Amino acid sequence: MNISYNWLKELIDFDFSAQELAEKLTNAGVAVDSVEPFGEDDYVLTFDLTSNRSDCLSHLGIAREVRALTGNHLKSLVNTERIPSDKPSDLVRIEASDCYRFTARIIKGVKVGSSPDWLVRKLEAVGERSINNIADITNYVMHELGQPMHAFDLDRLEGSRIIVRRARKGEKIKTLDGVERTLDDTMLAICDVCKPVAIAGIMGGEESGICEETTNVLLEVAYFDKNSIRQTSRRLKLSTQASYRFERGVDIENLIQASNRATELICEIAGGVDVEFVDIYPARSSRVTVELRPDRVRELTGVNVEREEILRILSLLGFILQGDFSSDKLSFEVPSWRHDISIEEDLIEEVIRIVGYDSISEELAPSFGAGEYQPNEARKRNLRKVLTDLGFSEAICYSFIDISHDEQFELASNFVNEGLDEKFITLKDSIIEGAVRMRPTLLPGLLDSIRRNFNYGQRNVRLFEIGRAFAALSKEHGAFPVERELFAIAMTGGYMLQNKALPIRELDFYDAKGALEAAFDALNLPEPSFKPENVRHLRTGQSAAIYFGDRRVGTLGRLSDSIAQKYKFRQPVFVAEVDLELLLSLEEEKVFYKKLPSFPSIVRDVAFLVSKNLSFAEIRRAIKEQEFPLLSRIEFVEVYEGREIPEDMRSLTIRLEYRSEERTLKEEEVEAVNEAVIEFLKASFGVVKRFS
Amino acid sequence: MKEQIQRIKDELREALSSFDNLDLRELKLVEVEANLRKLRDLKIRFTGKKSPISEAKRQIGALPAEQRASFGKLIQETESEILNSIEHLERELASYALDLKTRVESLDVTIPGFRPESGSLHPITLLRQRIEDIFVSMGYAVEDDREIENDYYNFDALNIPEGHPAREAEDTFYTTNGLALRSQTSTVQIRAMERRGVPIRIIAPGKVYRNDTPDPTHIPMFHQVEGLCVDRGITMAHLKGTVAEWLRRLFGKGTKIRMRPSYFPFTEPSAEFDFSCFKCSGTGVFEGEKCRPCKGTGWIELGGCGMVHPNVLRNCGVDPQVFSGFAFGFGLERMCAMLYSIDDIRLMYENDVRFLKQFR
Ligand SMILES: [Zn+2]
Repeated sequence: MNISYNWLKELIDFDFSAQELAEKLTNAGVAVDSVEPFGEDDYVLTFDLTSNRSDCLSHLGIAREVRALTGNHLKSLVNTERIPSDKPSDLVRIEASDCYRFTARIIKGVKVGSSPDWLVRKLEAVGERSINNIADITNYVMHELGQPMHAFDLDRLEGSRIIVRRARKGEKIKTLDGVERTLDDTMLAICDVCKPVAIAGIMGGEESGICEETTNVLLEVAYFDKNSIRQTSRRLKLSTQASYRFERGVDIENLIQASNRATELICEIAGGVDVEFVDIYPARSSRVTVELRPDRVRELTGVNVEREEILRILSLLGFILQGDFSSDKLSFEVPSWRHDISIEEDLIEEVIRIVGYDSISEELAPSFGAGEYQPNEARKRNLRKVLTDLGFSEAICYSFIDISHDEQFELASNFVNEGLDEKFITLKDSIIEGAVRMRPTLLPGLLDSIRRNFNYGQRNVRLFEIGRAFAALSKEHGAFPVERELFAIAMTGGYMLQNKALPIRELDFYDAKGALEAAFDALNLPEPSFKPENVRHLRTGQSAAIYFGDRRVGTLGRLSDSIAQKYKFRQPVFVAEVDLELLLSLEEEKVFYKKLPSFPSIVRDVAFLVSKNLSFAEIRRAIKEQEFPLLSRIEFVEVYEGREIPEDMRSLTIRLEYRSEERTLKEEEVEAVNEAVIEFLKASFGVVKRFS
Repeated sequence: MKEQIQRIKDELREALSSFDNLDLRELKLVEVEANLRKLRDLKIRFTGKKSPISEAKRQIGALPAEQRASFGKLIQETESEILNSIEHLERELASYALDLKTRVESLDVTIPGFRPESGSLHPITLLRQRIEDIFVSMGYAVEDDREIENDYYNFDALNIPEGHPAREAEDTFYTTNGLALRSQTSTVQIRAMERRGVPIRIIAPGKVYRNDTPDPTHIPMFHQVEGLCVDRGITMAHLKGTVAEWLRRLFGKGTKIRMRPSYFPFTEPSAEFDFSCFKCSGTGVFEGEKCRPCKGTGWIELGGCGMVHPNVLRNCGVDPQVFSGFAFGFGLERMCAMLYSIDDIRLMYENDVRFLKQFR
């Protein structure tokens, strides 16, 4: 909303420059966005008002604020205060309760033409274009007094009468903007005896509007229900200066003044005669009264404001003290232009905003207890630290993803109820085309991010995300869906060194697995097991499910070729996703010191030719179960697949460590056990030692 | 015998003569090393088991008793003379060899060290952690709750009744079964008060959603931090003091704050809070030019705050005649953008590693 500095001075005297005025108003809660010079000696102030202050949407409204800041009086604008006739009249009939008050004014013998320069200039200052003298005056008074109004050509109203009623379903009206609009029975219309001639509070009709030939005018100044106007404006997708003010609330007691002001100007500029003035006010609203305990101002703001000062400020703002000034509770009648005041705290804000928020001191609230982080925050910080140390950057992706990802990804754990018809959460609509699914997995977001990085020429990318996934719950489980915190990684390209141009080698499955193992360590979890399982979005043979005990917590592996193809990935991408909430609910591993060995150990590295169906974990478990004497540790050394190894086999080198707690071992006794281990593997799995 | 000694000495001088005019600076490392080997051989030739000196020592026994002492002494002296002259050269050459070797094996210490490439935390996480640390040290508990809420928690409980403009704005995401993605973290105020009761001091960082078209300053999903303190006798001075305190801990002791009256349905009185610009220290000018983060005003607008509306307290079963409280909220993306001079907040959700790696 725009205000002209000079125009404002016609309503109240003050000594502030335009800049000073802007600053003072802003500090009082009527925020000025900008001050721009206008013409030779004027300034235009642009306001950014909060939605509760509809009373400030005019020069009068701002003048009232200036009155509160300066104590100066408002100047009178109207020369003759005409009071409408209280005789019953056929001119107007109100048939709908959404119209609280309606005044109609008949001005005869006007000459429609262009406006005088001063009027054109003033409208220009507030950003309005001149149309004709009658329309300009109604606009002018709206900007001056805050009351929207509409002028009809009286002779083009069928029956020369006004009926305010709900529109009939399907009734049509061509509005002043030339658009034909269809109304329905929720909408309030201003009608003549046959048809709607205006959409109440929003826009007039073209047919009944002022034109060059108009000589007799009916001026409508009315008050409509805020919600009714808002709804109609929404439904018709039509917002105007008038509807903007009506839906926020105008001053119902300001209608007579506004009508008088406009009529005076019309008679003066367009030369008409004011012949009839009707005011229909069926339900005179009772005024709101709010009580204020003067002590509460200090109790809530910490600022000591004297009773006299409270009264002075509220009086300047238009509040009227009811009853006794010295009682514990002061009772104030709220001015008719303030729709935002209903409780004591509202009055306290009125007082303190005029006193100034700068007068509020800075204190710390007395302490109350120790602060606390979210449960598991420390473990999550550890997790983040370990991952960044391993070269992963943290991603944050949108919580809504494209529905085309449905059923492509196997979910980390069973937090989704597969039995439901609608197992996911869907948005009614999304600003991002197609992204209406609340993600049940973090992977699509990470893969999109990898795609973007490829597009930017980055081929070595490691990302992780910690965030919520969503799924539906059956009705029996309550109204809210499941929100599950997951943790996912995605990696591709080479193993990079800091500040070096080329990777050392290409990343593979074991890099992803290593990252997960480090992550589990960071969370202080017991050792997980990785089982070879087929996973929908992973390539068979390079996919694993992750278990803690018998609880499946997630999956890990190389992205399947079909998904990789959809993303146009030309290099392998490895992904893992785990149910972080489930992990954090597991008991943390307790740490106990183990005595350091007193005697040296002897190690044997043995290379075996192993079928691809047989895993390291199986071999290790089998050896362990045999409880060979002296054998203290079984470790992986390396795996090799290559020229001299058959395609369905691997060369697997295992380190067997032998140790006694009582003595230094002899080579011969170790050799005997080692031979026994090799024999055992041969006998039970057909595994053969290489190089023998 | 004496002649024999003299002969040995002459022979040595002859053998060492090649070293007399040796200009070390002209030698390469291999040549120095060859000379060192030559000296070692000479040492063996002149003082080893088969050397003339050893031979002479063996002959001492055959000499008349009265000559033995003086002759023995002569041999001893000769031997140390030989060793001295050889070892002197050896030391000189060895030291030079080390010099050369050091020079050859010198490294370019400006080449990067060997270290696996590290990643980095998202700037939103970095900022969130800093803010959480500050508030936890001030006695606040960190809280969070549902991102998918019903209208009661997202609106009604926050004193935003049906028909209120904030509720009718078309930027709330709704699910097909009528739930809302929370449009502000104020929802956590309600849930935390229901759960913990009062007195209470919490901050609630979390994701919020608004169905806005993405542009450099808007994004349909972002993060807010909400603060809430409810107790007996809490005033706006406590609000101002608390906001000032944590901003000082984040931006430095000299930081000032100001509050301007504003309007929010869930607070009364309400305010917006600004803080003096961290870059230009509130002067509006940085390095002779209009300061960017504060657009030359010296102030940065950060968020909204106020005294918790009595209806909100009542909705949580708290008696506003006994308890009062303040709440404040601000957006992390906006703050992050200012802190790191990011001119387009959409970058924060592209997950471009070149962007992410800039933050630590
Ligand atoms: Zn600045």
